[in-house]
Amino acid sequence: MDILRNVSRNPLGLTVPALTILIAVFGIPTIFFFFASLNAPEYSLSNYEAFLSRGANVRILFQTIEISVIATLLCLAIGYPTAYLITAAPKRARVALTVLVFLPWLTSGLVRTYAWIVLLGDNGLINRTLIDLGLISSPLPLIYNRLAVYIGMVHIMLPVMILPLLSVMQGIDKSLVAAARSMGARPFTAFWRVFLPLSLPGVRSGTVLVFVICLGFYITPQALGGLRDVMLSTFIANQIETSFSIGVIAAAAFMLLAIAAIVLSVLGLDMSGERVRPDRFHEEHWARRVFRSSIVTRGMKAVADKFRAARWTRQLYQRTGAGNSSALAGSVFLALVMTFLLLPGMLDVVMSFSGGAYLEFPPSTLSLQWYRSFLGDPSWTGALWTSVQVGLIVAALSTIVGTLAAYGLSRTTPRIRSSFTMCLMAPITFPAIVVGVAIYFGMAKIGLVGTVSGIVLTQSVGATAYAVVIVSATLATFDRRLERAALSMQASPIQTLVRVTMPLIRPGIIGGALFAFIHSFDEVVQTSLVSGFAIRTLPLKMWENMRNELDPTIAAIGSLLTLLPILWLVALYVTWWRVRPKVQAMAQ
Amino acid sequence: MVNAHTGNLAPASAERACADESPLAQIEFRKVTKMYGGVVALRDFSLTVRKGEFLTILGPSGSGKTTALMILAGFEAPSSGDVLIAQNSVAAVPSFRRDQGIVFQSYALFPHMTVRQNLEFPLEMRGMKASDRLAKVDRMLERVHLKDFGLRMPSQLSGGQQQRVALARALIADSPILLLDEPLGALDRNLREQMQSEIKQLHREFGKTTICVTHDQEEALTLSDRIVVMRAGRIEQVDTPEALYDRPTSRFVANFLGEANILSQVGFEGGAPAGKIAMIRPERIAISSLASRPVDAENRQSVTGHVEEMTYAGPLRKYHVRVRDEVLVVREHVAAGQPVFQPGDQIQLSWLRSDIRLLAE
Repeated sequence: MDILRNVSRNPLGLTVPALTILIAVFGIPTIFFFFASLNAPEYSLSNYEAFLSRGANVRILFQTIEISVIATLLCLAIGYPTAYLITAAPKRARVALTVLVFLPWLTSGLVRTYAWIVLLGDNGLINRTLIDLGLISSPLPLIYNRLAVYIGMVHIMLPVMILPLLSVMQGIDKSLVAAARSMGARPFTAFWRVFLPLSLPGVRSGTVLVFVICLGFYITPQALGGLRDVMLSTFIANQIETSFSIGVIAAAAFMLLAIAAIVLSVLGLDMSGERVRPDRFHEEHWARRVFRSSIVTRGMKAVADKFRAARWTRQLYQRTGAGNSSALAGSVFLALVMTFLLLPGMLDVVMSFSGGAYLEFPPSTLSLQWYRSFLGDPSWTGALWTSVQVGLIVAALSTIVGTLAAYGLSRTTPRIRSSFTMCLMAPITFPAIVVGVAIYFGMAKIGLVGTVSGIVLTQSVGATAYAVVIVSATLATFDRRLERAALSMQASPIQTLVRVTMPLIRPGIIGGALFAFIHSFDEVVQTSLVSGFAIRTLPLKMWENMRNELDPTIAAIGSLLTLLPILWLVALYVTWWRVRPKVQAMAQ
Repeated sequence: MVNAHTGNLAPASAERACADESPLAQIEFRKVTKMYGGVVALRDFSLTVRKGEFLTILGPSGSGKTTALMILAGFEAPSSGDVLIAQNSVAAVPSFRRDQGIVFQSYALFPHMTVRQNLEFPLEMRGMKASDRLAKVDRMLERVHLKDFGLRMPSQLSGGQQQRVALARALIADSPILLLDEPLGALDRNLREQMQSEIKQLHREFGKTTICVTHDQEEALTLSDRIVVMRAGRIEQVDTPEALYDRPTSRFVANFLGEANILSQVGFEGGAPAGKIAMIRPERIAISSLASRPVDAENRQSVTGHVEEMTYAGPLRKYHVRVRDEVLVVREHVAAGQPVFQPGDQIQLSWLRSDIRLLAE
């Protein structure tokens, strides 16, 4: 009881477990690592100089930025219209489309990359089909080049771009656009002057998130790119495998981190679920000013002014001025994006039932041979079992510390909350490879490389971040007066927690646990470093096999892992969306 | 918990208002001060609430009224001073051990429990047997006219019904003290009046010592035995509704409760004493044509002016009359045969000298 009272006085105490793990596993090693990059105790920039003095390294650095920028812009170019069209869709379609975007996001990135190998490879579906049709005689170079890297990265990152955009766009009051139209703005002007500026916070979060994650990409460029399409993460991983010169590795990692930090601090990242701060919003103004003063716009305005006033009433009540053709174009665009997002996974599921010696579409004969080879091989089932075990431990650990931290943070001031949340989220906002090498460095010092505990701790820092984000979002809508009401009815603090708080935030906790498990179950980059090749989780075993041969067994696993998210979604739906409307109705 | 005051809701008499040290005192604030960082939310707040009394704390937002309530409920600790309930200090008593029923702003009904489960909750927490709870909840549901709503979720109720559930939940455990935090704030006008009489009735019936916090003067005037007017963390005046309206001691109270005409140049013959201002309520001013001579003229003071604006509001007619540089508001009940003046008409205003109140600036 005394503990509880102390907690209510100093809620930050609840963040201690989460912060302890974060600092011990990630924070301290990062600091040591940073000193290592400075060649401590002599302190010099020699490592950086050594890295930058080699032209090849500099080329890799620029290439990493270039690939990340282009992939981010591609995601934005495809993601913005997609999110806009989903927001404008009727309610049922909107929910269905959101789920369809959500689905691939929950699917293992490894599996999705594998699906592209199967599609684009020299013996892949596209080339084989074209050869069989007699259209080409030798395979087209679809894979192992920059284009394939972009396709794979955009495919993986597109949901990450679309989801924040969607959440911001759905929060935009539709009557604002209607109001602009009523004041004589044409549809495009209303969009440009009202909707677009209001959606910029979503653009900002999506872009920053996608860019920073892209910086740390390792699997996709490695699997789909050619020898020349190397990113910094590949360089770091190779260094660890071959030379292990800590100084140079650290220098490379910190340069990557510096780029990420610059982007994060310039654009900022608000994942706390809170509204945009007005002062942040002003940063966008220059863009609008540039547009407003442009001569083209002025000219168009002068012509349009005469007609506008008379037409707005009519237009306001018509869905779109251009009518059916633009609606059709929108539907076609959405269909293409959804195909791009979902088809590889679906083809993979179908082809995994192939009876032949290799994967084919459509399968000429059906068989479960690849599933048998998965479930009959102890090295696969062992890896699966390891993954499940690790996943469950990680999920339990990070849900507990994450929920405690989120609960404590919900009771502090917004300023403290956002800075603590930022810290806790560092493991998923920093490039994965940087986090990975820092943790690896630390684990090596305390001899946990190659142990299950090491892997659990490594994955827990990222998983905790997800748990904190999701539980915090639920707590933000939780009305604390309900707790006071319970206390006023003589419920003790523990009874209040059990009977009122827990039932109401349970959806968030389950969601957090689910994401923590998914994170653990999918993580390759950091795990592969810390595992020291002594322990094989399922993704590690898959990654190993993918690098060596095009093993169709992976298709069977992939198909299982593709169907898994559907299970997740059902679980999420049951716990989340069923409870939401009730709570929301109460809030009114 | 029926007590001596049951049924006696007539405004308390003046001597009752002074008898603060009576043994009936149920709640006592002693020089309570609350600071948030460097901001003073409540300063030297001293107040005694008698058993069975309906006391309203009235004030604009930020005046400290909710802070006072939260300290009494045990959700906030005072920075200094003490709170006593039934002569015992509750400084060390956590909120869940104080026996109080609270109706929260926007109700705080548990959204994951049915109406019945919401009502059962306080009984369950007090360790009451399930069979006893059943009967008690049935009776209470009947009392608040929600007999058939027990199995609904709170979200399936209208605003007025939610309000009644909240009241029932606060009353069901028979706590001697009932706290209402802006209880009618979320309701529309018609419903609000209906709920006011319902609250009044429940108070008469259950006789709980009730403290209500509101910024709505009408609510305060209709419901309370006594009203505490707060301003910037301090008590401005404590009195019965009638006394407060009739004899405000400061300009703030006069303006906050009802409308007030400040007579700075016009009215007060011989001028107001230093540091004081003269005030008269709009309904105390009589309006008549220049020719007519008011009765009782020797006790009355009269001035001339012209009508600037006339508003008709159902049973009332409201005039804005310019007298020299000032505009006075006059409110008159509509009656047959009464002359109606139009903007521009030259008229005469008069009032009893005894109706003028002197206020602190």
